[in-house]
Amino acid sequence: MKIVIIGNSVAAINAIEAIREKDKVSEIEVISDESYMAYSHPLLPNLVIGNISRSDKRFYYRSKDFYDKMNVKRVLGKKVVKIFSKNKYIALENNEKIEYDKLLITCGGTPFVPPMKGADLKEGVHTLTNIKAADKLKKDLPNIKKCVVIGGGLIGSKVAEKLAKYGIKVTLVELMKRVLFPVLDDTAADYVHKELKKDKVKLILEDSVVEIRGDKRPTEVVLSSGKTIDTDGVVVAVGVRPNLDFTKDSDIETNRGIVVDDYMQTNINNIYAAGDVAEAYDVIISAKRPVPVLPLAARQGRIAGLNIAESNIKYNGGFPMNSMSIGKVEFISMGIVDSEELEILKIEKDNEYRKFLIDNNRLVGMILVGNVERAGIFNWMIQNKFDVSWIKDTFLNSDFGWKYFDKAFRVLRLNRKIK
Amino acid sequence: MKWMKNAKTYTPPDFAVIRDDERCIRCKACVEQCSFDATFYDEDLDKVWNWEAKCVGCDRCAAICPVEAITIKKRETPYRYNYSWYGHIDGLKKRAAFGGTPVVSMGNDKPYPVYWDHMLLNASQVTNPSIDPLREPMELKTFLGRKPDFVEFKKDGSLKTKLTPQIELNIPIMFSAMSYGALSYNVIESLGKAAQEVGTFYNSGEGGLNKDHYKFKGNVIVQVASGRFGVHKPYLDVGSAIEIKIGQGAKPGIGGHLPGEKVSQTISETRMMPEGSDAISPAPHHDVYSIEDLRQLIYALKEATEYTKPIIVKIAAVHNVAAIASGVVRAGADIISIDGFKGGTGASPQIVRDNIGIPIELALAVVDERLRQEGIRQQVSIIAGGGIRCSTDVVKAIALGADAVYIGTAALLAIGCTMCQQCHTGKCAWGISTQDPHLSKRVNPDIASEKLINLLNVWALEIKEVMGAMGINSIESLKGNRLNLRAVGLSEKDMEILGILPAGE
Amino acid sequence: MKIVKINEDNCVYCHLCEVACITEHSKSKDIIKAFKFEEKPIARCTVEFNYPVSFSSMCRHCDDAPCVEACQTGAMHRDERGCVVVDPDKCVGCWMCIMSCPYGIIKRDERREVWGLSTKCDLCPDREIPACVEACPNNALTFEEV
Repeated sequence: MKIVIIGNSVAAINAIEAIREKDKVSEIEVISDESYMAYSHPLLPNLVIGNISRSDKRFYYRSKDFYDKMNVKRVLGKKVVKIFSKNKYIALENNEKIEYDKLLITCGGTPFVPPMKGADLKEGVHTLTNIKAADKLKKDLPNIKKCVVIGGGLIGSKVAEKLAKYGIKVTLVELMKRVLFPVLDDTAADYVHKELKKDKVKLILEDSVVEIRGDKRPTEVVLSSGKTIDTDGVVVAVGVRPNLDFTKDSDIETNRGIVVDDYMQTNINNIYAAGDVAEAYDVIISAKRPVPVLPLAARQGRIAGLNIAESNIKYNGGFPMNSMSIGKVEFISMGIVDSEELEILKIEKDNEYRKFLIDNNRLVGMILVGNVERAGIFNWMIQNKFDVSWIKDTFLNSDFGWKYFDKAFRVLRLNRKIK
Repeated sequence: MKWMKNAKTYTPPDFAVIRDDERCIRCKACVEQCSFDATFYDEDLDKVWNWEAKCVGCDRCAAICPVEAITIKKRETPYRYNYSWYGHIDGLKKRAAFGGTPVVSMGNDKPYPVYWDHMLLNASQVTNPSIDPLREPMELKTFLGRKPDFVEFKKDGSLKTKLTPQIELNIPIMFSAMSYGALSYNVIESLGKAAQEVGTFYNSGEGGLNKDHYKFKGNVIVQVASGRFGVHKPYLDVGSAIEIKIGQGAKPGIGGHLPGEKVSQTISETRMMPEGSDAISPAPHHDVYSIEDLRQLIYALKEATEYTKPIIVKIAAVHNVAAIASGVVRAGADIISIDGFKGGTGASPQIVRDNIGIPIELALAVVDERLRQEGIRQQVSIIAGGGIRCSTDVVKAIALGADAVYIGTAALLAIGCTMCQQCHTGKCAWGISTQDPHLSKRVNPDIASEKLINLLNVWALEIKEVMGAMGINSIESLKGNRLNLRAVGLSEKDMEILGILPAGE
Repeated sequence: MKIVKINEDNCVYCHLCEVACITEHSKSKDIIKAFKFEEKPIARCTVEFNYPVSFSSMCRHCDDAPCVEACQTGAMHRDERGCVVVDPDKCVGCWMCIMSCPYGIIKRDERREVWGLSTKCDLCPDREIPACVEACPNNALTFEEV
């Protein structure tokens, strides 16, 4: 059997490992338009300002000998242009054909650049979703004294913080009323705002960039409010969307991402998808949607891999979850973070913020700022739709832990008798 | 320091806690382990402190300290030494300061003579060869219960005489009555497990039997005491024998008092009394005012259990114990248990514990002698208890006339007790005499029962060793065999009472 | 595989598991030096107390360890013994493992210069029986097959 994997990141690597657990014989071929080993995307901002280098083993997702050990053939630096699912082959940009028996699409997302004038300037306008973009930005750093970061998402705020620490005067422009809009609520975002301000990042909220002016390089940006900001660099970090370039013309069902069933298979037999490109089941909204977070990409990749290797493993669904530190503030959030209808428990004291959203005695979201160490227990509760009615009162205790659980349950759970 | 001494009620601390600060790693294990609030950690100063006035010298902190930084020493009062007042000054001051009589626990700690230590055992030389217990069979099996006056056999050699109920012990050592209430659930569990494993008995004490412990049926003796707590048909049925407690060596003549705080939900269920109310055992049984009354109670219990179980009557060793024992036998007891004045207790007024009763050695000797003289010794088995500390105490007790012995304090020592005498506080730092669910976890029944089993097995081996030296291969042959005992340093009267000769004679 | 079984009915809340863990993971493996003269490691086990409940908990080494899945650098991995362990040279302290650990037993060590370090039970690779199990005075922790 020949298994072809498009993409070479978290989902792909986990799929390879899963396949090799079950199947040591089949041919595996990985195709990627990047020519690097799988690396850690969240570390790109660190790469830009140089507190990690391309030779640091931290930067790479697996060790150098991973592909050899797993007996994987790599086709790197080549773009896939089309999938011919009837005849079971894919076409590369150099017209090369690669046949497959089973195909896994893990091509991730592409940066989304909102419509604005001047976004096509060659120099000084950057994104930050892959090594190439990071390298470009890094090279350009000496030319940047003032920088506008568009988008206060995970990458946007991180890069703003890192560039500010590097000594660049940063202005962060965010469309919504707070940074990290879907990840944090107002109170939690305030911690981040304070932290960014400490680094002298200028925050402009509820506004957006409509034009980047400049001849070769940007000289100023114009906001929808009419304000202008002098700048000599722009980083666009509005977000990513599933990379659906080559599935457009195929008969693979797509919505916002590639729609997959509970076994990570697309509507076409033997074609699987996983990771940021896939639109899989979300346990909180009980519907399919793309959730571009790393742990889910890994799990989906693993499940796709196992199913490719003819196991019958179901994906139980995931939900958004994020862990991040900006400056000294560490936070972890999961699921729904703000709501008017749900039951909300929250407490803020001693630079610690805890918030829980409960729907019908099921935990559906939470935010921890500061003391994050027990976050995983809540993750487990959300994932398993745990009935929290009898324990939710203790959620706000900063020493929350297994000690508050019912003894019989705790004993079984801690000794791995209950999943 | 969080405390300040109150000089108005000052009595000098009994112990000094010496802490090697150079070793102390501030792990706070000692702080968590001290159940008497004598140890605490000061975060501001990063120091562990001791409030010595609260220290009871249980040594729990020193035992748990991973760097051995703690030494606990007896703190001598600086008062000028006065022989006749020594040991009375603190007690006097406490009474004056707090206006109450001190309650204490464990056994009498005053320096009364220990007669065991004045008796020596015999050994065979030349004429009557000694026996090697590792090579020759040795019998420690003991049956307790009324023995027939004579036996008849059928033609085929089988026994014709119908025997009264007996209990069978693999070794002549049992765990004495210690109630669930005085001891924690885990300790009872450990005693039961050990008794089951070794083939002997533990005694439920007067606190009834928790339903969970019915599993020890076949290795339990159930007690009926003056409070009658938890006495009902299923309880009696679980017991292999039933013990009527008339008196206890540590506090003869007085009853018991389990404070309401200790009557938790499980205790209240077991004892069949309201949760939180004081459990008061009256001094006498209110239906036993004479030997005849006792006979009624004995036979009531025999009736209730259809004459299938021997009845034990437990009395404290007091001045005219021999006459009392004789009456008890005539009342129909199958086994008589005598508790010496060194026996332990969960709580007793200090004056009672330290001054009432007589030594078990003398009581045992006179009871055995008296019953022999009256020709009724075979009607009863004798259990001696109260101050049995080692295997040779067992041997000496049996040679003085006991059929078996009860051990209580010795068993508790085996599972961690350090005899700090704080049982009555319910805060036992070793998790033994407490109902605090957190403290009682300190006794792990698996570990504790293992230790008890070890103790009993080692004692059994030692008894065999000593018997072998005397040239005796069955514990039966040692029973009442006072010729194997010789006295050293005893008065002629003592020896007369003990019925033994001086060494050399 | 064998993991540390938690028998909470026997836990006496003495913290000796934590002391042993710190000692075992210190540079010198000497208790006094570890606590007083070296940088004290973080205990991999945590003792919790909620009267009368007390117990120590540490990594359960899940079969399908979510922390391994969530790790963005591959620092969290399964070693040849089957234990889930962190490679300190790879860990960047993003706390994704903390976010995904269904037992909530991973701790943060933030004393390194650049990168934080996830700290968790590694079942004492240099020992046959983990230090905490050996130190527990009451068999509240036992090393058993699950």
